[in-house]
Amino acid sequence: MRRTLLKAAVAVALGSASAFAGLAPAQAQDAPVRIGYAIARTGPWAAGAQITQEPNYIMWAEQVNAAGGLNVKGKKRKVELIGLDDRSEAETMVRTYEKLMGSDKVDLILPPWGTGANFAVMPLIQKFGYPMVAPTATGRKLLGMKNPYFFAILQQPDLMMDALGEFLKARNVKTAAVIHVDELFGLEQAAALEKSFKEKGIRIIEKKSYPLGVKDLKPVLNDIKAKNPDAFVALSYPPDTFLVTAQAREIAFNPKAFYASVGTAFPVYRDKMGPAIEGVMGLGTLNPKSSPAAKAYFDAHMARHKKEPDRWASAHAWAALQVMQQAVAKVGLDRKALRDAIAGGEFDTVIGKVRFRNGENATTPGVVSQWQGREFEVVWPPDRATAPALHPKPAWK
Amino acid sequence: MTLRELLGAIAAGALALAALPWLASDFLLSLALTCLMYIGLAVTWAMFSGATNYLSLATSAFFGIGAYVTAWGFGSLPYALVVPLGGLAAAAFAALVGAGILHLRGAYFAVLTFGLGELVRHAITYSEKTYAHTVGRVLQDAPESSVVYWTVLLVAAAAVAACAAVRASRLGLALAGIGADEERAQTLGVDTRAAKITAFAIAAFFAGALGAAVAVRWTYIEPASVFNPFIGFQTVLIAMIGGAQTLAGPMISAVVFSLLTELLRLQFPYAYLIVLGVLLIVLVLYLPGGLASLVGRWRRVRA
Amino acid sequence: MGFWLELAASGLITGGIYAVVALGLNLQYGLMRIMNISHGEFLMLGAYLTWLAHTVFGINPVAFLPVVAIVLFLTGLAVYRLCFRRITRTSPSVEIIEARSLLVGFGLMYLVQNAAYMTWGADLRGYSFLADAVEIGGARFAGNSLLAFGFAVAASLALLAVLRWTMLGKAIRAMMQSPTGAQLVGIDTAFLHPAVFGAGLALAGVAGALLSMVYEITPGMGEPYTVTALIVITLGGLGSAAGCLAGGMLLGLVEAFGMHFTSPSLKMLLSYAVFIAVLLARPKGLFAR
Repeated sequence: MRRTLLKAAVAVALGSASAFAGLAPAQAQDAPVRIGYAIARTGPWAAGAQITQEPNYIMWAEQVNAAGGLNVKGKKRKVELIGLDDRSEAETMVRTYEKLMGSDKVDLILPPWGTGANFAVMPLIQKFGYPMVAPTATGRKLLGMKNPYFFAILQQPDLMMDALGEFLKARNVKTAAVIHVDELFGLEQAAALEKSFKEKGIRIIEKKSYPLGVKDLKPVLNDIKAKNPDAFVALSYPPDTFLVTAQAREIAFNPKAFYASVGTAFPVYRDKMGPAIEGVMGLGTLNPKSSPAAKAYFDAHMARHKKEPDRWASAHAWAALQVMQQAVAKVGLDRKALRDAIAGGEFDTVIGKVRFRNGENATTPGVVSQWQGREFEVVWPPDRATAPALHPKPAWK
Repeated sequence: MTLRELLGAIAAGALALAALPWLASDFLLSLALTCLMYIGLAVTWAMFSGATNYLSLATSAFFGIGAYVTAWGFGSLPYALVVPLGGLAAAAFAALVGAGILHLRGAYFAVLTFGLGELVRHAITYSEKTYAHTVGRVLQDAPESSVVYWTVLLVAAAAVAACAAVRASRLGLALAGIGADEERAQTLGVDTRAAKITAFAIAAFFAGALGAAVAVRWTYIEPASVFNPFIGFQTVLIAMIGGAQTLAGPMISAVVFSLLTELLRLQFPYAYLIVLGVLLIVLVLYLPGGLASLVGRWRRVRA
Repeated sequence: MGFWLELAASGLITGGIYAVVALGLNLQYGLMRIMNISHGEFLMLGAYLTWLAHTVFGINPVAFLPVVAIVLFLTGLAVYRLCFRRITRTSPSVEIIEARSLLVGFGLMYLVQNAAYMTWGADLRGYSFLADAVEIGGARFAGNSLLAFGFAVAASLALLAVLRWTMLGKAIRAMMQSPTGAQLVGIDTAFLHPAVFGAGLALAGVAGALLSMVYEITPGMGEPYTVTALIVITLGGLGSAAGCLAGGMLLGLVEAFGMHFTSPSLKMLLSYAVFIAVLLARPKGLFAR
């Protein structure tokens, strides 16, 4: 017993020495391009990360390698992904990026999932000088840090809320009720929404907030139903997005416009809610009908992962990889040059042409999408629309 | 070992570890930081809960309070002041609620202390939202990682020293008496209430200071991430695996557990928690005395 | 139905869901002092089995409930045999059983949760079932939450009756009070222990199956439910079937009325405040024995 214990201890010690030493930085010219990231595979962030983000990383690396490798300034090199679980924990995530950038000295990094996690890597990417194009980070506070290495490719709250305001104004909506989650996301969206609705002359007749993790919002919805607003907007996270939809249906609260936020673009939203969601609107950028490139992306995702990507941030995650890829093709792996190339260039991506201004995606407009049949159709702005909007929303099925 | 020798050993160990920022890579340094954080949390948890058998899940509440003091104070106050303030805030909170809840026992106490963490978390969320119109705070210009490391090292070393001192003191005897039989301790003239509250507050001080010290690494501080119940659970787990009645057990366990988890995470990025789970179960079933008992066994075998 | 009645009903139904979540843990912890912190993970297993059966094989989730119960009962026997039997046999006192089972529970939690992540991925999953509203006296309730509520009430009453009036119940209670004494009077603890533990897991599994009809599911869903369960059973009084039901209902009512009178933002704060206040007033829960 003692001897085996000792042996095990030695084995663990040796194993840890090799694991913690990390891989020596590649010297040879045709060594693979090492791309590191930490992302949630377990814990509360995992659902979002695994629906929206990591499947794209994996698919991208495989596609690039199948095509002969990543074009590094004209020379093709294979890609090696080093992906680690951050356990949905800020400290573990920070530590992992310190390892990837400080000790392993990987060639490139990809962002973690979520606004909070992106905040936490901000000082590190500046310290080590790694550009990062983030698909799941929103908020003025994030951009307010003015980190030269940080690029947000997702539409920021003001854009998305303004699109909603314009859409509703065009349909002559006069009153709205708003609920939002007590998180940075909910507060920023709510502030942007209030500003936009005020400009558009839409009166907010009720505004309530709720904490993360609620299991019942029926009393609030009942109160709102009694006030009979034209539009209902829930600035919600996935569990509550599902909850408000199910409970609004339960009490037959059927305003002319029904909008919920994160999660409406997930295919599982349709699976869970069934045909009831006809006419429900939410955050979404594109669908397979948007363009041939979008169709190719959806098909490839379906073929590789046996599941559809979501219709909002997934495509932005893919576009972020395309931005990286095109910038590397142009200037190679010198990270300072890469940063400048991303900051100054224009990129052709699945979500359209992308340019950055002060670290923010300056070209992708705010979009409103709506479930019709089995598709999350883009209904606003008109030049991106894939179907005419259903307004007023039909009764719950 | 006498208390003086022990304190000397702790100081020597801390001094030796203080050299790490010049020797180790960024990653090893932050790994060491995690080990130290859990050493500090686990020894102080064991000092109170291990001795008295009051299973407290309030560690994440204390840790979060400390972190939130950083969120509020950092930027206007120096880091060196924010850390002890975080500890004091947590200790004050512990003394206040401890007076009210330390008569509960067993699972009732455990679940209630967990509820406290959630209560504070929601209270902060609500007041931040209502009065500050935000939920999280952004920390700019965080200190260098070596400075954070030294701070955590200092707090952890002070925590270990404090626990050693408590164990050797009348307070330590009183706590052990409470753990063995609270009523008997009372009849023997121990002021059990004062002893419990004092120890609870000391443990809270170190957890709060650690929270305040570590939080600067996360740039963005919000209630949901700093009042992470996982931190409290992990502390309990580490202390109990190590042997919560001992001083060395939780320390060894904090290092072993942190390194092992990290090693498994890096080696098996998908299945490491399965391995960890199995190891944990086997360890509890076949090593009921905790890791500390291994040391004892080793000594007996050699003797 | 009047507005107040509807509000109360809504709170009771949510409370019923809380009670369902807590039933299994109440058996294991309340009666056996096995602190099974992986309770929520087995609940998650029940949810995934039902989801799988429904979406892949098209089986009606309600008809599948007995299967979930049996599968989890057998899992419970196996888990007990592999993990908890040694603990209950070798631990010198109840406190040590509690502490060591807590640690093993952590191990099981990691193990089961991670196995689910690897098998099904971290994605949210869900299916639509009995989501249509049922109208009762003018108020509308989703069929699936009514089902969960009904099960909570029925199962609690059944447990109450079994524990109070049957020989089996007497044997179980005797075993809890004094394991050795029970053995002396001829109670087969070698059979009863694993059976009660298995029944706890079976109840967790059924709760998961019911929840999968109402909410979306993920492999990480268990932990918050474990916490809910712990709160409900301590609120009600450990091991008390009536307390478990009452504890769940009380929380549901506090939330519904709290949300109406104050603001939904305060709702979590209120629930914890009520929980803490109750325990301060009654340190052994509402239905302390």
